Amino acid sequence: MTSPSVPASGTSALPELRVASLTVQYGAFVALQDITVSFPRGEIVGLIGPNGAGKTTLLNAVSGFSGGVSGEVHLGDRDITRVPVRDRVMAGVVRGFQTVRLLDQEDVFTNVALGTERLAQPTFVEQWLGLPRQRSARRRDHAATWEVLALLGLTADAHRPVDELPFASRRLVEVGRVLVTRPCVVLLDEPAAGLDTEGRLALEEVLRSVHRTAPSTMVLVEHDVALVARLCSSAIALDSGRLVCTGTPQDVLANAQVQRAYFGRTAHA
Amino acid sequence: MTTEAPVQSHTPTASPARPGPARGRQLLLLAAIAVALVAVPLVLSEYWVFLCAQVLVYGVATQGLNILYGRTGQLSLAHATFLGGGAYTTYVVITHGYSPAVALAAVWAVSLVAGLVVAVPTLRLSGLRLALVTLAFGELFQWVIVHTTGTTGGTQGTPVDSIVAGTIDTAKPLWAYVLALCFAVPATVLALQLARTQLGRGMLAVRESELAAASAGVAIAKTKIIAFVAAALFAGTAGWLYAFTSGFLAPTDFDLFASVYLLVAVVLGGSGSVLGSWLGAAYIVLVPQLFNLLGYPTLYSLVGGAVLIVVALLVPNGLAGLLSQAVKRLTSTRGRP
Repeated sequence: MTSPSVPASGTSALPELRVASLTVQYGAFVALQDITVSFPRGEIVGLIGPNGAGKTTLLNAVSGFSGGVSGEVHLGDRDITRVPVRDRVMAGVVRGFQTVRLLDQEDVFTNVALGTERLAQPTFVEQWLGLPRQRSARRRDHAATWEVLALLGLTADAHRPVDELPFASRRLVEVGRVLVTRPCVVLLDEPAAGLDTEGRLALEEVLRSVHRTAPSTMVLVEHDVALVARLCSSAIALDSGRLVCTGTPQDVLANAQVQRAYFGRTAHA
Repeated sequence: MTTEAPVQSHTPTASPARPGPARGRQLLLLAAIAVALVAVPLVLSEYWVFLCAQVLVYGVATQGLNILYGRTGQLSLAHATFLGGGAYTTYVVITHGYSPAVALAAVWAVSLVAGLVVAVPTLRLSGLRLALVTLAFGELFQWVIVHTTGTTGGTQGTPVDSIVAGTIDTAKPLWAYVLALCFAVPATVLALQLARTQLGRGMLAVRESELAAASAGVAIAKTKIIAFVAAALFAGTAGWLYAFTSGFLAPTDFDLFASVYLLVAVVLGGSGSVLGSWLGAAYIVLVPQLFNLLGYPTLYSLVGGAVLIVVALLVPNGLAGLLSQAVKRLTSTRGRP
């Protein structure tokens, strides 16, 4: 497995995402217990584990969508454990959802352009009055949106309402909203779920080329181990809310506990 | 509904320039609207010019409600209250001897504060619970008007002096129309410009999926507050116009029914659509008059209710949606060889 060709300068500028002694508890139920792990900077990281392992919970805790969090979440030297979602997004931690969340009555363009909120937007008065700063921001946002639409092959559908699109395209629209500003931490929750083989390969290619053109730490929750092995340069395995192991996808998938938990068989079976 | 200019061909990195035909069509449409607006006082009788002025006044209000409900999805049953707040503020300020311009400034200040007062406590509410709180606010306003007869005229209502300057007198339909137009045009331009901004997109996101909005970094509370205050400012401005163009204020002009009719206008016209809010305003002003002319004034609420049910069930995008569908169908059949 070749590691993605990320320019060294770009990667070293990325802040490192790590969690320390992270526990997420809902009432008596402990969804994540004492997780300490660093997400390798500038890599595509597969987050794997059986259902209920806590993969989505970890994504929620990192992106600020979870309550009951104790422990720490760090982005570079900044502690973001108690930081509101919006501020994490502005700091570059942007996520997608397992169940695609779109503005169903709006078109593809609007859905993807929504992601440009992260860019420095003029004050709402400047926006509303169409002052010069708004005009240049609008040009910038449109250019970024068209660029990511082209990358995702959605250009022709730009002005179609998203509820007219097939499922695979709807997923891509959400991925587009996440990627439009090229955030430094990209969190995707089962982006390939529900896609056919062709759709998976296309998505894989999109993620690979996005990652090549803009350095980021890209974390994918993914069930398809073959996809993880092909796309990711490292992997993190969870089981029953605990960290099992980290390493290259090959090492992680070969781990005895991962084999047992994930494939329901013992290592020497 | 957003009004992003359709871009048929583009290069991804270049700034997307509008193609020629679309721009040409826009200019043509603009010219047609301008001609129609100038034609109104030249062609129609004074009575109809007055009604058109009323359409413009209510249109400023429906544009505001469309921002709050149509675009941001916040259900308010107090929009006529903000309209009334503007109208009564105007009345009180001019009876103290101040000019209409001072009254307008006062209306904006009052609307701003009232918008904030209603918005902030309702941030955690949505849907019907939000509607109930706005309803309570509306009832409180009615109570205040009824119990301040000395200042506001109370249940009997009160006449309001028109703006008079030289030959200009807003008691005359022509000048009422011109004055209303001076505010209707900027209100429309602002509503259209909003659709071209990230703020406008954030509002759509708040309406359709707060989760999507949050994950994109939209400041949900701030967006709702801006929508509430903007709606209050539009309604207050419409109230100022109402005071000078109708010449008489009564609390029933701004009660729950009035608020419901404003909502009807937005939904019937096409929730989220700037054009739709204009069609809706025309509907709530002109259709009752049509029934009056036909000699069946009581039929309006009956037929109006039936029309609303049909639209709600069968035409989700309202009159504006129907219109754009028809235009699309026409142009596509014409385009065929």
